[in-house]
Amino acid sequence: MALLIVPAGLLTFMLLVGPMLWMGRISLNEYSVEQFMIEALTLQNYVKAIVDPYYLNVLAVTFGVALLCTALTLLLALPVAYALARTERSWKSLMVIVTLFPLLVGNVVRSAGWMAILGKGGLINYTLRLLDLPEVKMMYTTSAVVIGIVAVVLPYMILTLCSVIESVPRNLEEAAENLGARRLRTFVSVLWPLMRPGVAAGSVLVFVLCMNTYATAVLLGGPQFKMMAPAVYDQFVIANNWPFGAALAFILLAMTLLFTVAGSMLLARRYHRK
Amino acid sequence: MKITRRNVLLAGAAGAACAGMGRLAWAQQGGRVVVGTWGGDYGSLLRENVDTAFSQASGIDVVQDIGTPDPRKTKILAERQGRRASMDVAFFNDTDAFLLGQQDLLTPIDANNVPRMAEVVPQLRKAYSIPHIYSFQVILYNPAKIDPAPTSFADFWNPKWRGHIGFVDDMYRQVTIAAALAGGGSITRFDPAWDKLLELRELGAKVYSSNEALASAIKSEEIWMTTLYLSRGYMWKQGGLPLEHVVASEGAPIVAFEAVVPKNSRNQEGALGYLNAVLGAQAQAAFAKKMGYLPTVQDAVLPPEIAKSISLSAEQQQRLLVPDYDYSARMNPQVLDFWTKQFKG
Repeated sequence: MALLIVPAGLLTFMLLVGPMLWMGRISLNEYSVEQFMIEALTLQNYVKAIVDPYYLNVLAVTFGVALLCTALTLLLALPVAYALARTERSWKSLMVIVTLFPLLVGNVVRSAGWMAILGKGGLINYTLRLLDLPEVKMMYTTSAVVIGIVAVVLPYMILTLCSVIESVPRNLEEAAENLGARRLRTFVSVLWPLMRPGVAAGSVLVFVLCMNTYATAVLLGGPQFKMMAPAVYDQFVIANNWPFGAALAFILLAMTLLFTVAGSMLLARRYHRK
Repeated sequence: MKITRRNVLLAGAAGAACAGMGRLAWAQQGGRVVVGTWGGDYGSLLRENVDTAFSQASGIDVVQDIGTPDPRKTKILAERQGRRASMDVAFFNDTDAFLLGQQDLLTPIDANNVPRMAEVVPQLRKAYSIPHIYSFQVILYNPAKIDPAPTSFADFWNPKWRGHIGFVDDMYRQVTIAAALAGGGSITRFDPAWDKLLELRELGAKVYSSNEALASAIKSEEIWMTTLYLSRGYMWKQGGLPLEHVVASEGAPIVAFEAVVPKNSRNQEGALGYLNAVLGAQAQAAFAKKMGYLPTVQDAVLPPEIAKSISLSAEQQQRLLVPDYDYSARMNPQVLDFWTKQFKG
């Protein structure tokens, strides 16, 4: 039986663990303009990233945006997922396909679409001009990035929550309502506690995707807005400082892992306590 | 293969055609050359004026790998220990080509392996690249808004233009040089740039993610003045943007766009042949007409009106500044760091 996991294990090692080990080694090297990279065993790249206020700020912005997007996505996904899970109409499968549809388009294309809507000459400002209203600056703002990210991750949250809500028997809600509970009370006291593990799974998935946002942050945030994934890219590709880029990538990985594990443990503990 | 009279005649005809290409090693050798280049007009002009003719003459297929220069540079660095690079020819600006040449990743080039190098303007010759096209860094301004016309890079710091100065993010090196020159520094002394850039930031200078984004801001009159290459100004003016250019009193730094062959190219002979074709007089003239870049070979002929639009007068040529690539390369991490954290951040 254990042999069955060997092919997948080997593939994961070759394609994920191997490159990460190699990148871990690079992060301990030194950068040199003339020689590109000098073999070394130093932690100076990690120290530089941790003490530099600029990168601390980039990390804080990344964490803040990821947290805000996860919360907004959860709020927006809940009613849609509930409606989708509880509907018994024939067009349910069509609705699932419509939810999945945005995932068929790449992040870059979707961000380009948002640029056409939020830009100076975009749909919103065009409409405002037609109505003789003052234009609003939306492109290259944190709000534009948040809108773009939420649009990307929303289907993941909807589908995760939908499967969890479907697994909660409907007659539990009916029993609560028979006993006089209003809809909100039924949701808070019956449905929410039972769907909490699914909420945790969806939130973790969305949070990880948000922490690693690249295309949306670059295209909608502009050159002055910086999150961690674009900062890693800049170090590898523009500055050619691979050791520092690798150190930043590991710091991003460690932070994502830390917050993900902490969040999951917190939600799981509260669920078991109930 | 069966030897027939028809095959013998065909072989004879092919041999005669090859003789016209001299003793060049790439002539009629077949195979493929992968060219890492910019897309848009640059890629199209290469395709129309170099790739097709080179393929027909040599039998070598040319495949363009379109992208921006930073990923191209990273690819060459990542593949430096591999036996076979993914690109045979790559186009870069002069500073990036110098950085790669400095790390001994590029095939040495001279008139022996690229005969057209003999026609290249002597000041532009390098041992690790061919200069494809070149231009100068100038001030571009909207004459309806900036009056009187600027004369110096120092005019960017005039509070009258607060909030209407903008730059392209990729031009961080050139903006730093302009700031250094305005602050009394030089092409080999960037120190005065730091304070000047912070002052400019206080004056509301904006940074745009691409040339297209800046062009859009100039068109909407959000931006009135910038510094870019004269070639870009020529293209934008042709496209209807309200722009004029002026050579700053501090000087006009030269920029050359160059082509290199990685040492581990899969088809070195073909790649060198391609570089020779890139230096063809007709191909160079086509780039000048469409994109406003100056030819790097001495036998390229331009129509007088185009030559006038994209060249400098004798007096302006006295102000040309040739970058010190070694100093620029050494300063690049500091320049990029300051630009990212202090100026944009």
